[in-house]
Amino acid sequence: MNSSLIVVEILVGLLGLGVLLADLWLPARNRRQLGWAAALGVGIIFFVSLKDAAEVTYAFTAPGAKTGMFVQDSLAVFFKQFFLLAALVVILMAVEYSDRFATGVSEYFSLILFALLGMLFTASTNDFTLMFASLELITITFVILNSFQRDRASSIEAGVKYLILGGTSSAIMVFGIALVFGSAGTTNFNEIAAAQKTLATSPVFLTGLLFVLGGLLFKIAAFPFQIWAPDVYQGSPAPSTAFLAVGSKAAGIVLLLRVLFSAVPAITAQWHHLFAGIAAITILYGSLCAIPQRSIKRLMGYSSIANAGFLLLGIAAVSKAGATGIIYYIAGYLFTVLAAFTVISVILARTESDDISSLSGLARRSPGLAAGLTLAMASLAGIPPLAGFVGKFLLLKAIIPLGAQDPVYYGLLAVAVIGVVISIYYYFGVIRAIYWGGKPTDLTPIPTSWGVRGALLLCVIGIFWLGVMPDTLIQISTPAVEVLRPELPLGLQAKP
Amino acid sequence: MPQFTDLLFYAFAGLTLLFGFLCVANPLSRNPVTSAMFLVLTIISMAGLFVLLHAFFLAAVQILVYAGAVMVLFLFVIMLLDLKEEDRRKLNKTAVGLGSLAVLGLAGVLVRAMLAAKPVIAAGSKPVEGSTKELGRILFESYLLPFEILSILLLVAMVGVILLSKKDLK
Repeated sequence: MNSSLIVVEILVGLLGLGVLLADLWLPARNRRQLGWAAALGVGIIFFVSLKDAAEVTYAFTAPGAKTGMFVQDSLAVFFKQFFLLAALVVILMAVEYSDRFATGVSEYFSLILFALLGMLFTASTNDFTLMFASLELITITFVILNSFQRDRASSIEAGVKYLILGGTSSAIMVFGIALVFGSAGTTNFNEIAAAQKTLATSPVFLTGLLFVLGGLLFKIAAFPFQIWAPDVYQGSPAPSTAFLAVGSKAAGIVLLLRVLFSAVPAITAQWHHLFAGIAAITILYGSLCAIPQRSIKRLMGYSSIANAGFLLLGIAAVSKAGATGIIYYIAGYLFTVLAAFTVISVILARTESDDISSLSGLARRSPGLAAGLTLAMASLAGIPPLAGFVGKFLLLKAIIPLGAQDPVYYGLLAVAVIGVVISIYYYFGVIRAIYWGGKPTDLTPIPTSWGVRGALLLCVIGIFWLGVMPDTLIQISTPAVEVLRPELPLGLQAKP
Repeated sequence: MPQFTDLLFYAFAGLTLLFGFLCVANPLSRNPVTSAMFLVLTIISMAGLFVLLHAFFLAAVQILVYAGAVMVLFLFVIMLLDLKEEDRRKLNKTAVGLGSLAVLGLAGVLVRAMLAAKPVIAAGSKPVEGSTKELGRILFESYLLPFEILSILLLVAMVGVILLSKKDLK
């Protein structure tokens, strides 16, 4: 086995352990510096990870299997860079937010790194066993990250809700994996792909796959597993929420891509109406419930559900165009949501209320923060020339050619457009509060550290980059999409 | 004429289901200690199923770790709880209704799938022997990576428990 394959994972694990140990020797007032060190470490590892995988390499082969449970290919490399970038911004955010924690500042940094480790492994998953182990690492770490402000009841509530619902979904998923193993005799994605024509007729295998999907849809907060998102997003500390919204969702997405588009593409093609239905209901649920929200974090929770629906449009499109759309959308989502949460966490680190009205006067207090949040909201709403617009455009473009052959897809398209229109309304509610809100009570500028300013600048550059020059990322993601082998359903063609 | 092992399987499987049901929805007692004791019996019946599958080590571990160590921990936690408050709690009718509906739906899907399934031995798979040596080899050779991930998971859980339950916040 070639251990240089998992060098990024090993480095992140060592960094996490190092931060945990360094806490023993550091005086309490220097704990924030540990956050800078962790961010620096993740930044260095990001540059280590920049090397693209020239070929598909497997490692950790189970007995009787031809390929390993760990795969290093372009898709894995792309998502690893994604996760490292997300963790970098989240750590910078956490350094700023750490004053709010009564205890365990350095443990917070190391837990973020361990959650990152789990995400890195999901990107390379080629086996249901590895999938379960890495997802559990993410889930358990997030239980602690969500309930980290234990002096606040809402934070504990968020942790407990995530623990119970996450535990239930993990139990259902592991039961599904048992059924899959029982009917297929293997947990390896390649072996299952080779046998999928016979497995597609096995009711036990299909039930198992459905249960596995339950666990994955919980991760991305899609209907009918979305009920936890608003409460957990609202109660958790802002950096945890940001990492949950970006990292945990992307981990679910990369696993959905691997399972649906490379392990069982034939069955995905059979189920295309199921995915279209889930996508439509998720978009409508998230958008409609977001309208009356007053808390900015709760609004982001419902917006996260609606965005899970948009991501599922790409799965429902069962094509490489859909996969490209998903990858583009999630990359834009990374910059957009992290920009929003960077601003939110800076504001919430100083005020107790997360009501949207507390944003009033932000434009005069801190024009930079106000501009960052405005750009993020406009990008989420899909306003050109920002990242969210191109992502939504690519996803809808993948759906349209199928509509002429199957009217269900025109219905899905209509729902998606309605969702976009509703989302413009509630995202602009936030922008209105920033610039035209009521009389602000406090006009002192909000002090920000250079780390936060750098993180925000990085996100804003990302939002504009993906919005203005879509070709560059599409080119970068082409080899990643080539790894996947989606199959169109019988009777449907990519081009009518 | 069913084999003796088949009879044993149905006996253990039936007991597992019965004790599992009594653990979560005992009509006679709502005492958590009774539930915990039924959980012990569920785990022991499941160990019987493992023995029938020739997974002797797993059966032993199941009894030692789950029925023994983990259950003692459960009982300690139950003793720390305020049980009187639990007694006063009324059953929420909507929750019971929706929960039963979900259970029935899941059970329906599973039963239909199982009835429609034909027992096949998947091509290329050979029976796995559950001896300690074999299990250790599989665990530390081919499944080394998930095993190491779970060791990190345990570390995370330990850090988390200390952080969330430490008495003084400083």
